[in-house]
Amino acid sequence: MSSHRLPIRSSELIDRSTSLSFTWNGRAYVGHEGDTIASALAAAGVEVFSRGMKYHRRRGILTANHWDPNLSVQVGDEPNVRAGSRRLVDGMQVSAQNVWPSLRWDLGTANRLVGRFLSVGFYYKTFMRPQFLWHNLYQRILRKFAPGGRVNWKTGTHGEYDKRYAHPDVLVAGGGPAGVAAALSAAEAGASVMLVEQEPELGGHLRWGGPDDLAVLADLRQAVYSTPAIEVLCDSIVTGRYDHNWVAVLQRSHEVAPERLIKARVGSLIVAPGLVERPYVFAGNDIPGVMLAGAVRRLINLWAVKPGSRAVVLSANSEGDAAVLDLESAGVEVVAVLDARAGEDVVEARGRGRVSSVQTGDGRILRADLLVTATGWTAPTSLLNMAGDRPVYDKVAARYFPQALPDNVLATGGIAGDGSTTELTAHGRETGLLAAQRALRLRHDRRAQTPRSPAPESDRPAAIADSRIPLRRSPHPECYRSTTHGLVDYSEDVSSKDLIQAAGEGFDSIELMKRYTTVTMGPGQGKLETVNAAAVLAEAMAVEMADIGTTVWRPPFSPVSLGALAGRIFEPVRRSALQDWHEANGATNLLAGQWVRPDHYGDPMAEASNVRENVGLIDVTPLGKLDLRGPDVANLLDLVYVNRWQKLEVGRVRYGAMVAEDGVVSDDGVTGRLAEDHYLMTTTSSGAGAVWEMLEDWLQTYRPDWEVHVTPVTGGLTSINVAGPRSRELLERLVDNVDLSADAFPYFSVRTGIVAGVADCIIWRIGFTGELSYEVHVPSGHALHVWESLLSNGSDLGVAPFGIEAQRILRLEKGHYIVGQDTDGLSKAPTAGLDGLVRLDKADTIGLPELRAAFERTDLPVLVGLQPDDPTIVPDEACQIVEAGSNQILGRVTSSRMSPTLERSICLAQVDPSLAAAGTSVTVQLVDGRRITATVQEHHAHVDPEGARQRV
Amino acid sequence: MIVVPCPNCGPRNSSDLRNAGEVAPRPDPETASLTEWRSYLYLRENPAGWVTETWYCRSGCRRYFTIERNTATNEIRESENS
Amino acid sequence: MSELEFVSPVASGPLSAAGGGISLEDVSDRTKVLVRAGRDTAAGTHLKVTYGRSRRRRDGALICGSRPDEWTLLADPGQGTELLASLPDEGFVSVVDITHGRAMFRLSGLDTVGVLAKVCNIDLTDDMTPDGAVFSGSVAKVTCDLVRNDLADRRSYLVSCERSFGAYLFAAIADACSEFGIDVPADLTIH
Repeated sequence: MSSHRLPIRSSELIDRSTSLSFTWNGRAYVGHEGDTIASALAAAGVEVFSRGMKYHRRRGILTANHWDPNLSVQVGDEPNVRAGSRRLVDGMQVSAQNVWPSLRWDLGTANRLVGRFLSVGFYYKTFMRPQFLWHNLYQRILRKFAPGGRVNWKTGTHGEYDKRYAHPDVLVAGGGPAGVAAALSAAEAGASVMLVEQEPELGGHLRWGGPDDLAVLADLRQAVYSTPAIEVLCDSIVTGRYDHNWVAVLQRSHEVAPERLIKARVGSLIVAPGLVERPYVFAGNDIPGVMLAGAVRRLINLWAVKPGSRAVVLSANSEGDAAVLDLESAGVEVVAVLDARAGEDVVEARGRGRVSSVQTGDGRILRADLLVTATGWTAPTSLLNMAGDRPVYDKVAARYFPQALPDNVLATGGIAGDGSTTELTAHGRETGLLAAQRALRLRHDRRAQTPRSPAPESDRPAAIADSRIPLRRSPHPECYRSTTHGLVDYSEDVSSKDLIQAAGEGFDSIELMKRYTTVTMGPGQGKLETVNAAAVLAEAMAVEMADIGTTVWRPPFSPVSLGALAGRIFEPVRRSALQDWHEANGATNLLAGQWVRPDHYGDPMAEASNVRENVGLIDVTPLGKLDLRGPDVANLLDLVYVNRWQKLEVGRVRYGAMVAEDGVVSDDGVTGRLAEDHYLMTTTSSGAGAVWEMLEDWLQTYRPDWEVHVTPVTGGLTSINVAGPRSRELLERLVDNVDLSADAFPYFSVRTGIVAGVADCIIWRIGFTGELSYEVHVPSGHALHVWESLLSNGSDLGVAPFGIEAQRILRLEKGHYIVGQDTDGLSKAPTAGLDGLVRLDKADTIGLPELRAAFERTDLPVLVGLQPDDPTIVPDEACQIVEAGSNQILGRVTSSRMSPTLERSICLAQVDPSLAAAGTSVTVQLVDGRRITATVQEHHAHVDPEGARQRV
Repeated sequence: MIVVPCPNCGPRNSSDLRNAGEVAPRPDPETASLTEWRSYLYLRENPAGWVTETWYCRSGCRRYFTIERNTATNEIRESENS
Repeated sequence: MSELEFVSPVASGPLSAAGGGISLEDVSDRTKVLVRAGRDTAAGTHLKVTYGRSRRRRDGALICGSRPDEWTLLADPGQGTELLASLPDEGFVSVVDITHGRAMFRLSGLDTVGVLAKVCNIDLTDDMTPDGAVFSGSVAKVTCDLVRNDLADRRSYLVSCERSFGAYLFAAIADACSEFGIDVPADLTIH
């Protein structure tokens, strides 16, 4: 292969002493450190990098930077890599995307023959009908030709993505001369600065400029890197600006992660992205060898790559003029320079794999392999749009300018106007100072308002007026389209002809046209295409550009990988103090909300039977526990529970249920009175956080006069339920100072005592399992000792741990409902069977009017005990209860298990009130479609409905 | 992610707080008709403009407070009845 | 009672980076007492510090103004009784020993700000969060109380959370430290 590498250029980025090996479509190549993937390939003579999306025409280098639409490649298992900016790494395996079977022989080119069927709106018009073909045929075929690389989602080798937060006073988006100058002056003014540049090094257009530019750049770089208050992030992109200057920065090539998302709260955002050079629309403008002026300047000056041998240049500005000089200095023969300012034009480029000739506006046909266009600039105003600005078109300068910005967003550099390097850096410096001043005022306010920070030592910095001298707007011809048609959107293969056709079909608003034709919707998100699309529409509608408007640029500024958005995934997990023991002793875990807890230790049925026969231990630490203190606790309980609490004596516990203001059952639990003004409330495991916030809400906003302190103690007290007929006998061996006899410690009582030598244990006698049982709440740092003591002191009593599954069996045998399982988001108190509990004559209770209304209704579902007539069938939970001869739904099974005690299936179910009477036969539809009959029971409890077992 | 000015903690990211919604005065449960009660439960102004709303400083001071927020611009000012 | 070993939710010993830029240590066994009291109570007056700040009391206890009308007292292990007794209890005052209810870690070194920036959205620059600052926030999605409590020669933070999150949070912070040179043991995983 021939080398297109030029002799040493003073501005080159490559290190010729290095040699990096890589492959391109399986062939071996060599490049240097500092090369991009594209520059290394171009130096080796590669001209075709990709194929167009629809017509699969060959594509070469167009812009030679991050925005090049033709340089998306696959690198290893990473798709859509921008070869125009991604630096070469030794060992890279690079391949072309969107080609099949190969870049050279691409079957997709056949689409060209049926081109008229792929015209605008083709997808919408063609694949509508018949609908069944969508899944069976269209989708599969279209996917074959879909653009983009291969996502290797099964074997990601990218490592962890990462995230971090930042709080810079000033964030500068863009590391060109204006942005760098702004960062420096902001830092000098005392601000902390984050400077973000999307290319791998600072400098913007100075990098490919002349000796003066390079000297300025060297000074700026030296100053930035010796200023500690500036954090420089190259190869990084500001992807979005959100409310209150919440700014997202995607940092690439970080040493610990391929990409890292920085979430920055920024005092002032300086938008300095420079300008994006616009392609020119004419016939053949996508043939390899048609390049923008900036592309040839970068290839020659940054990477010492000769972009062609015979060039025609169409120039409307100084960048084009400079490209002519660069081409000449690189030994490229400049066949003709067409001055667009003087009305000269290009109408067509011809050639198959490479430009071979160029037809000019005056009819000449010039032999050339390179056509360079310099026809103007697009202001990438995305971040300004996101800050609420609607930039306006300036006909004289032929581009858009910012209109009105909020105080915390400032623009500088090319996006704000034109100027020499000196003028641009001067504007940048003034902008940086203004931004710093505004940010430091905000920081001052933040310090004054934040209690952890001492009051600021100095006064609030004075506001300074925006006295910046605006950058001028240099006249520029409106060069958008030649007399021929060509591509407007290279990523989406949308031509000017397509846009005119769309306008003709009535899609004559830019926002509608965008969605109909997909112009600007490719990976570049309009950086190259938006203004040309607006110009073509203006032409089609015969109106001024300014009247067309532009599409709104929304985040992200540049595509962001999903991995970066996901970042490091934090999923907090809660563990009781006994969880290590459980795992070391054969527990099979269950994730219940955030809690990891034992589902069972091998045989849940045996665990349940052991509780009925001997004694079992279960770790119920996830139960929400709230320490309540103060003289008004009883008032609070009266407000939040449906039952009465004023007469609960010290040493007693009581069951309580809560409803929300809409009368729906929200939580339940047991609350005990430990001392005169001291209570312990328990909640469901999943409701603990919500109940706590709810209590604070009522105390703070409704009854601030009540004296109650709420302290969550869930994890601090490890809760062990000791259940079974021999539980008292077991506890008596370990409890020192509490009389556990039935008379001294009756059902629904609470005592505080020493268990296994551990003081301050709270013991209450309740019975979720229906057996004699004690719940022992142990200070968690000593919980393991108590648990192990219970096991070692009860081996002769048959003590064994049991898990959640056994507990669910036991409570279902006993008919205890679970809020959220046997009730749902519509279940009111009567459904849950709370008739005996609710007191409607209280002065106030949360949801009182709804409670009263609910008890006047006769149509609410009723929770009932239910037993299938075939005792071997356990209907799945959530099976519907239906009318025998129809599909009318009359209820559902809310809980179901096989009962080891009864050796039959048992359920709880919500049924229509017409089915609630004991003895009613109902029809249950199983998951497999079979229907079975079941009989409504008199009680919720299937075992010991009288409660004799727990009151011993 | 907007910044919510907590009267106790100072400005905080909204992810540190929970929006408890537009302030809706609770009618007297003894005297309110069901219609009034359900207006309190379900009906809100939801303007594209200034709204008085309650926030709970979940990760911070754990206090409920009210602010006024412009739902169209996310401009925030102190509530007169906070 | 006192001979009973306090079992921390964290099984790992201290971790530190070879270069000394960061170290992470479980200090869950420290005595922690929560005081809730009105500003006009004797306890409130005695504790002095306001929300957001901390001070070292003469007996060595660290008094942290952890919320409005709420203080957290931190002391060496086994000091619960002494701390409880040290507080005036007139008026509406609640004192709860939360030693068993909170896990606590000490994160020290120059790189602490970098580590915390990966898991916490609070601005830790010196002027916003100087030595002595007390604040709360989400750390790796767990609500935590933090105190900037510099050691003689090192920037240092005490991070505490609900005990049951302790094992997870220690692993999550250790994971964030790995960028700064801590070799995280294989059993400390958050995934």
